[in-house]
Parts: sequence; C-alpha cells; structure tokens
Amino acid sequence: MVGQHDENLLSDMLPIYYTRLFPQNIFCRWLTCGSYPHPVSNRELSFTLADDVYIRYLSINNQKDFQTLLQKKIPHKLDIGGVYNTKPSIARHDSVVLARELVFDIDLTDYDEIRTCCQEAKVCEKCWKFMVIACEIIDKALRDDFGFQNILWVFSGRRGIHCWVSDYEARTLDSPGRGAIADYMCLIMGGDNQNKKVNLGSDNIHTSIRRALNIIDQYFEQLLEEQGFISTADRLQTFLKIMPDENLKSQTEKVLAKMSEASLDRWKAFLNIYNNYYRENSNSSRKIKYLIEEIKIQYCYPRLDVNVTKGFNHLLKSPFSIHPKTGKVCVVFKPGNAKNMKLDEVPTIYSLLDDSSPDNAQHQVNMRVAVKNFQEVVFSLEKTEAMRRRNDARVANRSIATSPVDRGKAKI
Amino acid sequence: MDFKLKRKSIKTPISGSLKETYPHDLQFYKVPPTCDINLQEFETLALERVTLLRTLATATTLKGLRLNSEEYTEYVLGELRTQGLKYYARLCEKSGCAETAADFEARRKDHIAHFILRLAYCRTEELRRWFVAREMELFKMRFAVMRGEAVDVFFKLNNLCYTNITDNEKNEIIHYLRECLPYQNIDNMKFYKVKFYEVLDLVKTRKVYLSGGYAYIPHRDFISVLSALYRTHLRQSLAIASQHLGEIEQDERLVSLLKGLHQSYSGNDYSETKSVVPIESLDSLSLKSFPLCMRQLHEQLRMAHHLKHGGRLQYGLFLKGIGVTLEDSLRFWRDEFTKIMELDKFEKQYAYNVRYNYGKEGSKRNYSPFTCLKIINTPVGPGDCHGCPYRHCDTSNLKNKLLGYGYDPQAVHEVVDLAKKGHYQIACSKYFDTVHNEDVGLGINHPNQYFEESQKIIKGGIKVEPKKEKVTIKKEEIDDLEGMDFDEPL
Repeated sequence: MVGQHDENLLSDMLPIYYTRLFPQNIFCRWLTCGSYPHPVSNRELSFTLADDVYIRYLSINNQKDFQTLLQKKIPHKLDIGGVYNTKPSIARHDSVVLARELVFDIDLTDYDEIRTCCQEAKVCEKCWKFMVIACEIIDKALRDDFGFQNILWVFSGRRGIHCWVSDYEARTLDSPGRGAIADYMCLIMGGDNQNKKVNLGSDNIHTSIRRALNIIDQYFEQLLEEQGFISTADRLQTFLKIMPDENLKSQTEKVLAKMSEASLDRWKAFLNIYNNYYRENSNSSRKIKYLIEEIKIQYCYPRLDVNVTKGFNHLLKSPFSIHPKTGKVCVVFKPGNAKNMKLDEVPTIYSLLDDSSPDNAQHQVNMRVAVKNFQEVVFSLEKTEAMRRRNDARVANRSIATSPVDRGKAKI
Repeated sequence: MDFKLKRKSIKTPISGSLKETYPHDLQFYKVPPTCDINLQEFETLALERVTLLRTLATATTLKGLRLNSEEYTEYVLGELRTQGLKYYARLCEKSGCAETAADFEARRKDHIAHFILRLAYCRTEELRRWFVAREMELFKMRFAVMRGEAVDVFFKLNNLCYTNITDNEKNEIIHYLRECLPYQNIDNMKFYKVKFYEVLDLVKTRKVYLSGGYAYIPHRDFISVLSALYRTHLRQSLAIASQHLGEIEQDERLVSLLKGLHQSYSGNDYSETKSVVPIESLDSLSLKSFPLCMRQLHEQLRMAHHLKHGGRLQYGLFLKGIGVTLEDSLRFWRDEFTKIMELDKFEKQYAYNVRYNYGKEGSKRNYSPFTCLKIINTPVGPGDCHGCPYRHCDTSNLKNKLLGYGYDPQAVHEVVDLAKKGHYQIACSKYFDTVHNEDVGLGINHPNQYFEESQKIIKGGIKVEPKKEKVTIKKEEIDDLEGMDFDEPL
C-alpha cells in the first residue's frame, strides 16, 4: 500500500503531471462536445484538494482556464458533474442540471460476497476477470440494445471501472429513463438476507440475458476454478442455499461434500445431478428451470451501483485523474481489450515522473496508448455530434418549408 | 361570481357544442375548462375526484390488487357505485364515444375535476407524485377497457399516428420477439417500432425487444407509449400550475378548499418529535420497541460497526423520528464507525450524511422517516441490510433469526407464514404481539408508529384500543403519499 510519504509527494508531482501528461486538450474537447448545446462553462467540475477539502461547482471556459485552475488548486482528485442551465458557480438555488453523460460504476467491493481471492480495497488479476465480464456485457447491451455509439471506458484507479455514454439521447435522458436502463441491466437483486438473488422465472430467457450468458460462459469455468466458488465447506453451504428445491439441495450436498474440493469437478457433478433431477421431477421443474443460468449470473453478472446511474448529477471521477490512494492513472481502455489489461501495468504518477523507475518506459508507452484510446472516442463523438446537428438542421428546415405534421409527442 | 381558472397555457378556448368539446370518454386534458361554475359544484367535484383517486390507491396498496386485473376493475367500479360516483363508474367501465347527455355530463365533470385537483396537488413534490401516480392508474384503467372502434377514434382525435413494421422486417426479428415478449400469439400481432425512451416501463421490466435504440412493441403494449406521453404532459402541467398558484390564491374562498384537500392527506409524518431518547438506551429499546427492520439494522451496526448507505438512511431517519437529537446521533454513529476507521474518515465521509438527515446539509430539507411502504418497496442490493425483513429475507433466514431471539416457535411460524404469503405488514403486527406478549392486532404502517405503540404499552401499561377502522385507513393515506416510488420511477 502507498504510505503517507507518497501522498505528500503528490502535491509536488501533480502540477508536473497536469502540465506534461494529462491530456488537457482532448479532455476539454470531450467536455465541450459532451456539453453541447450548452457552453462548456456550464459543466460542473469538482476538486478534492490535498487535505480532503472538497470544492464543488467549479467550471472552465477553455483549456487555458483549465490549466490555470489546475495549477492554482492542484486537485488530488478530479470529478465531473452535470451540465447546468447557467454557470454552476453562479446562481446555485434555481440552477438545474440539464444534461449529463449516462454513467455506470462497477466496483469490486460489491463482489465481496462471491470473490474469494481479495476483499474490500484489494484487487488482483483473478478478480479483475469480474470487471472484464462486466465491461463486455454492459458495452454490448449499450451498443446492441440501446444503439449507443460513443462509449468511454475508464479504469477507476483502484478496483473498479466507469463507463460514460456520450450519445445525445443518453446525455439528455431524465432520471426515470436512466433508472429504467439501470434496471434493464440489473439482474442481481436482494441484500445480505437473501441467498438466491437472481430469478429468471420460467418463460423464455430474454435476448439480452441470453447474450450475457454467452459472454459469461467464456469465463465461467476458469473463474470457478480460480475463485473456488464451491471448494470449501463454507462456500459449498453458500452455494447450496441458492437451491430453491430442498430435494435437489440435499442430493447435491450428499454427493459434493464427499468429493475432492476442486470446484470444477464439483460443478460438473452438480450439472449431472441437476439434469437428472430436472428430467425426473417435471412437476417441480418450473422453479428450477433456469437454475444453472441463475447460478452463473449470481456468480458472474455485473453488479452495478444503480444509484450512480440513476442520479442525474452524481459526480464521477474524471478520466486521467490520479487515484489519491494508489497513485494510479484512471486510464481509458478499449472494451475489447479489458481482458488483456494488467493492473500492475497501469501507469502510476510515480513511475511516469521518475525516470529511474524500472517501470518507467513501459508505463510511458501505456499512458500514450490510453491517451490514444481517449482520442479515438472523442474524435468519433465529435463526428457523430456534427452529423446529428446537420441532420437536425435539415429536419428543422424541411418542417418550416412544409406544414408540420408532427408525431403525437409534440402535440400533447 | 367569476370562477375562471386563469391559465396562461390556453391554446384554443373551448367553444361550440358539448359534442365537439367532449367527443370521447378518455381525454388527455390538454385544454383547461373555461366555463363558469359555482363554488358548491367546484367543491363537490374536487371532493368526488379525491374519493375516486383514493379508491384507486386503496385497491392497489391496501387490497393488494394487481393493476388492471379483473378483481381490480371490479373492486374499483363497485366502490365507485357504492360511493355514489356513478358518472366515474360510467367513464371507467367502457370508455367509448357514446353521445347521450349523461355521457357528455360525465366527461365535463371529469374534465373540470381533473383541473381543480391539479391546483390542489401541484403544491409539493410529494403531492405531485401521489397525484400523478393515481391519475396514471386511472388513465391506464380507462385505456385498458376501451374497445375496438373507440380505440381508433381516440388515436385519431389525439393525432397519434404510428405505422407498423413490414412483415419482412418482422420475420427477421420474430425469433427475438418470441424470446422477449410474454405473449403467445406473436405471429398474428402487428408490431410498431418506437424509440426505447417512449416505453421506459417496458424497458425497466425487460418486457420488450430492443435493438439499436428501438423498441418493437405489439398493439397491446401501446398503453406504455401513451402513458409515458401522458405522464410527461401531466408533470409539465403541474409544474406550470404551481407557478400560477399565486394568482389562484388571491381568492380566499378557493385557498381554504384547495389547501384543505391537501390537509386531508398529510397526517403525522414523524419528522418532528417532542420526546428525547438518549442513545444509551438504544440497545435495550431495540429489543422490544424497534420493529424487526430497525432491530436488525441496529444489530448489524453494533456487530460490523458499519452500515451501507441505504441502511444509514433508513435507520438514521428512524432514530431521528423516535427522538434522538442530532448531537447524540453524530456521537452514536461516530462511536460505532470509528471502531473500524479513522475519526478523520468518519468526519469527512459520514458525518455529512448524519447532518443531512437532520436537514442541516445539502438542500436542508427536514426528511421524514421512511414509511413501511417505502421500506418494502425500496431496492436492496448485495451487502445491504436495510429494507423490510419480511420481504427481503429468505424464509429460512427470517425463521432462524426469530428463533434465535428465543420467541415461541409457534408464533415464529405464524410470522414467517404471513411473510411468505406477502402480508409483510401483518407479519410485522404479529411480531409486535409476540414481542409484547399481547394481542393488539395493530395495523403497522410506519416503523415510528410501531415504536410509539410499543412505548405506550411498556410505559403506560395503557391498553391500546385496536381502533382498526379509523386508524389504519387514515395512516394508509399518509403512506401512499410517500411510498409512491414503486409507481413513479425516480
């Protein structure tokens, strides 16, 4: 863990980091484009300073402003909020948030009840796989189901990932709309007192869930082995509690408890028991029709922090901010590349600014890659925005020319 | 007497015959009424509509009927008739475009009453939510009973034109439609393509096929599109109405009535308390006077020295409600949390929340403790311990917990059984009786009500009269107001 000593160093290193390495230009372009049609100065930024002093309602006009502000305040953490109807620093009482990227926050602490390798703030290559699955499933759903194109994935600096959707429709979505999307994606429900957290019913499985299961299947057995989901007696008990059918439960317990502790072997034995049981007990089969799928989802499906997505003006850590506890850069990564990401190869402010560090060269390269990833997303966003505006202008012109027979929406 | 409801949004003043004005039983209430009515009719219409909306609320919450199920419609219609609201029963029963004088009269009353209630319910966010949720139920019910030609007329009257997708298009995706929709005869249905945000309620419950930002819906799901439109319209209208309250309130005769309507709904919300409860007594109080939901939060906090956000909110507000002062509250949370974290971290990350609950931070609203309905309908995620134990605990966990407390197995069995059947609040009442060793049969609607009743028994030894009728019904109304989250996606 990084000690106090290093945190003190941060105040000296951050000004250099912000000037030399933080992709200011592309960052401002991203904010500007993501705030349109409102000026970027209506966008809230918030800083956390060295001694945890928190400043909200900041904003910038342009890159020069941004640089000045960074050098003046030297924020240890940089958060981004919503787009207000005025400059957020002025009238605070009647100001409202008009737009904001649709965001998702996935954090490994929400996996503590299923991951066995680490707990709380810790994270390793093994449990990172949960993030890989989450990223793939959510990215696919956003693109295929909702038709979003401008999606930015950011490593949160320690143990999670953030997703920013900048499409116009996503940015202007209201709070219930965000809630609906979050609920559409959310399959794991229930707190510490509920053992079975996934219920798929007995009708068909929804296309989006089917697709998520296909993604999970690519990783499931590997995760099962690495995490040992059902290896020890305790974990086996937790697993058995998911079974909604007492007979199936006792049958499974009898067989698995006697076996070796290897989770994969136990799982395969369970599949056998389940298949036989399902075939023989057609009357109780409704309850356990999708039990296998439900178990896989409970152990692997993304666990979203729904409140972050629902909230219209929830602040979220900016890309390329430095995580104050780890010193790691919140790098932008490609969703397809999440599985190749190595956590110790994520550049830290220390390795980037210290030439003598053994990781320096590699981290420099990785930092450049991250900036390039960011650029690609921003360029594509600027392109689609320009196209959308041209289209809108054309539609507006046309409807002026002819008499407007609009859809019901405008009429009511 | 001039009772024009002055509104700036008037587009086209109503003129011409009733037939032109009210062609259909179901309307979007786009244009406010501009006729003159006398005070008495004003008042009657308002009260009658409140009764109608209350009936709807009772049907779903108290009776637990599923919206638009047969029992639901039957219950509502029956109630309306017994309460003498025949014209509403008429409108809700068939929803068509008949042209008798009685039909026109019913539509006129419906129209005026709706606009009066807008004025009464635009005052606060909570009232607005309650009103919108009820009006949505009413709208959906009336749309659902609409048949054949009336539907086409309704679409035409409101300029709703949507075109269905071609057979080719449909055949390409029919496999997915079958997978995603809970209907049997997909092959015979016509499908429409709309943007996903027009049918958010279907998206939310994953009952629709989405592709590339579009939702493919059959005709019968169209109610989702319409209700979304109606909801937006209503929300905006209420916002506009609230801006014009000043003008209306210059007339004192109206003010008292409109505010009176509101008063009949706002009972005790437990946001103000007189008594002071010292935190040293919480451990002992939690054994007897806390409902199970609070007791388990208290125990979790003592055990893990931490609660997640939802738990802090639910428990913190409850403590405020029973009379724990802000200073004590801060001390209480600090003592526990600092067992696992630095004082500094607590002060920076959690103290704000405690002060926030007491209305000292952020928007500085004095938040009310959660009602049972709110707690029951609150989402509970991994790692959370809040929520209603009768709803959010597995049966075996609940049973073990109660047995662990040492209660009579027979009574525990009854509580668990009630919870299993979905009677969460009755289960809570049974738990109350078990804990207090009495047979009170309270209608529990609020954790703070539970606390107060328990204190009455313990302190005064006064026998609580189970005034079921009056008490429960009045409380129920309060709950509706705040527990609307399940109707109104936030």
